[in-house]
Amino acid sequence: MEFQIVDVLLRWVHFLAGIIWVGHNYATVVQRPSYRPLRREDLVEAEGDKFQSMLQREHGTFRWASVVAWSAGILMLALRGWLADALLLRGHMAVVGIGVYIGTVMMLNLWFVLWPHQKKVLGFVPAGIDERLRCSRITHLSSRTNTMLSIPLLFFMGAMQHGGFLFH
Amino acid sequence: MGHPFDTATGTILLGFALTGVLFQLVRWLAA
Repeated sequence: MEFQIVDVLLRWVHFLAGIIWVGHNYATVVQRPSYRPLRREDLVEAEGDKFQSMLQREHGTFRWASVVAWSAGILMLALRGWLADALLLRGHMAVVGIGVYIGTVMMLNLWFVLWPHQKKVLGFVPAGIDERLRCSRITHLSSRTNTMLSIPLLFFMGAMQHGGFLFH
Repeated sequence: MGHPFDTATGTILLGFALTGVLFQLVRWLAA
């Protein structure tokens, strides 16, 4: 009974944090479906104190949501004793295992590719204007990589519980 | 021709294509 309660709570947290995280990616796809290179004026407009604190809050929220979503997912698998088989892609566990790998790549991409460049683009750390414009191309590609990866990730998450018949 | 990630359609189509490829891989692993 206790295990079931913890499991359902972790699943709830996993969904909620996942939506906060990946929802941000889809919001940017809807706002700017086609890539338009940033201009110097765009960067100057983003330099006000109020706007900067809003950006800090926004980026902090979805960045940490990724850690919560990933951790809750790993914990769910560990509590069920499925983690090793999932990571080794053994049998039916390969369905959720591939999700673990995609989610891990997405989180690493966010923290170690997007974030270091985003800090410069948004002016959280000092950088010359040319460097900021260069970084904005990298953040675009990094963000879209995660949007793309979320499509198979969500499929395999759902298929693990509801799509067993697909893998016989 | 630009990068597929430069449009929303390109991004989403690549996502579906990747899902198809990984689906085949997982079917093979799970068999």
